[in-house]
Amino acid sequence: MTVRLWITALHSLRSIEDKTIFRKVLIANRGEIALRINRACQELGVRTVAIFSQADRESLHVRGADEAFCVGPGPAQRSYLNIPNIISTALVTHCDAIHPGYGFLAENARFAEICADHGIAFIGPRPEVIAAMGDKATAKRVMSEAGVATTPGTDILTSVEEAQAAADAMGYPVLLKATAGGGGKGMREVHARADLERAFASAQAEAEAGFKDGRVYLEKLILRPRHIEVQVLGDTHGNVVHVGERDCSVQKPSHQKLIEEAPAPNLTAAAREALHKMAVRACQAVGYTNAGTLEFLVSNDDIYFMEMNTRIQVEHPVTEMVYNIDLVKEQIRVAAGESLGYGQGDLTARGHAIECRINAEDAKNNFAPQAGRLTNVALPGGPGIRVDTHIYAGGSIPPYYDSMLAKIVAFGATREIAIARMERALRETVIEGVATTVDQCRELLASAEFRQGHYDIGFLPSVMTASLGSGANAFSA
Amino acid sequence: MPNLHVGEGGPLVDRVRLLASAFAQTDLVGLCIQREGEEIELRRRPRSEGAALPGGAPAGAHRETIAADLVGIFRLSRPTPVEGERLTADRELAYVEALGIRNPVRSLGEGLLVRIVARDGAPVDYGAALFEIDRG
Repeated sequence: MTVRLWITALHSLRSIEDKTIFRKVLIANRGEIALRINRACQELGVRTVAIFSQADRESLHVRGADEAFCVGPGPAQRSYLNIPNIISTALVTHCDAIHPGYGFLAENARFAEICADHGIAFIGPRPEVIAAMGDKATAKRVMSEAGVATTPGTDILTSVEEAQAAADAMGYPVLLKATAGGGGKGMREVHARADLERAFASAQAEAEAGFKDGRVYLEKLILRPRHIEVQVLGDTHGNVVHVGERDCSVQKPSHQKLIEEAPAPNLTAAAREALHKMAVRACQAVGYTNAGTLEFLVSNDDIYFMEMNTRIQVEHPVTEMVYNIDLVKEQIRVAAGESLGYGQGDLTARGHAIECRINAEDAKNNFAPQAGRLTNVALPGGPGIRVDTHIYAGGSIPPYYDSMLAKIVAFGATREIAIARMERALRETVIEGVATTVDQCRELLASAEFRQGHYDIGFLPSVMTASLGSGANAFSA
Repeated sequence: MPNLHVGEGGPLVDRVRLLASAFAQTDLVGLCIQREGEEIELRRRPRSEGAALPGGAPAGAHRETIAADLVGIFRLSRPTPVEGERLTADRELAYVEALGIRNPVRSLGEGLLVRIVARDGAPVDYGAALFEIDRG
């Protein structure tokens, strides 16, 4: 680890001295990830410009940056997705790079192209790779050609009749997915033909509203698999490494993750090696650069590529803790044209990390998002605890955006120590003013399945249904 | 950008009304259509607010703030408006230059130009106060 730290420090210093790193980065996001990027830039000696909506004027990410520009009113379509105002901000503030974070424009190939057209570096992969891999139907085809196993599925569907024919052929249950999707948006499980038409329309509408791209496709639903993803990093010199896997199987019925951990528990050495190799091979096949994540469904010994996220992930901190690496700094270095400067053999996992997402959600009402003002906030600390958050007492939670308030990450030499630290951290956590998922995280951590590391994507719904009961409207479709 | 279906035939006024309705649902600040000797140009009105400015003169009953509705460089138009000037009609006071496009900022009618809030040549963000006008 000492060697690894030294490598990172050496690269940072060299970058600043050689002026290869950017002068000023516009952070095209909000919330905790905007703060996370701002911290990485500050440590690299890079100045920052925050953008914000009128609803986020008092947000912490606005105060943390060197400069801040309002780009529109509260609704994301008119602010954080307002490409002309974001590009104009970058130009008038003389930024030479834009970091998109996750969500919003992070996987918008057109946005990456527009950045390039204006001489601004997009901190992410090349636009054509985003288009190929961010488009989930195309990504599956590319992966299949690279010899990576994929779930049976279709190309982009043009009509509900086409969807019905494909679903009839592959057999129910099936999963409708938005080709530009992420975070469970535009995704619908369909268990019977009678439900397909309604699910098709609602998935399209949700995808259009969330990503300005309503295209959907269909794939066979693998029942109760594990969701395991592999972190990758590639530079513009042809070097690609994996940075281990994360188990993200603790998901709400909407497929939004609630708890993630690294490394994945109870994964055989053969399966782990296969996942890592597939991820690296896939990235090499498409010439992938920057940070990315390949998501897989794992069912017994079967591994299926699901999709690739061409951006930094929400859950990246668990990887950072286990590999003692700063993935956001690596993104910035790579986008500036630096080589990774290390190989696979230099990266070694150590210990165990768990992340709990603390969301402003009412678990008793189908995890409905909450908005309001936070009356009291006390966040945990102490050995092995990291908290990435943008909240503070007195701050408001606008109704327009993602409901995540904080990511609590616990690290320990063993999984048992990490769990114990997380339980202690959750007990210390006080967030008042809105309903949160703190209690649900505590309940999940306390369950025998989680403690033994034997769980799949059906775990959270089964625990919550048992806890809340059918009368609590826990999981209405 | 959504498609603006404004019909091929019918009276000009109806087509302009349809076009304006569709235009209002977009984020565009201006739109010009030229076809067969006919030209229709639509421009979004700059946002106008009645509130007084923080640190500015006390708000009068007729005091209005003209704010930027996009991010760019603020530039005063010629003839250069001056504080205390009586605006006798709607006129272009300035423009916000964004992505190489000149987006006019108009006075939106008569009034007394009380204050030029933004600095000529400086970047302005969305909602930034540009002018303060007394409509009384």
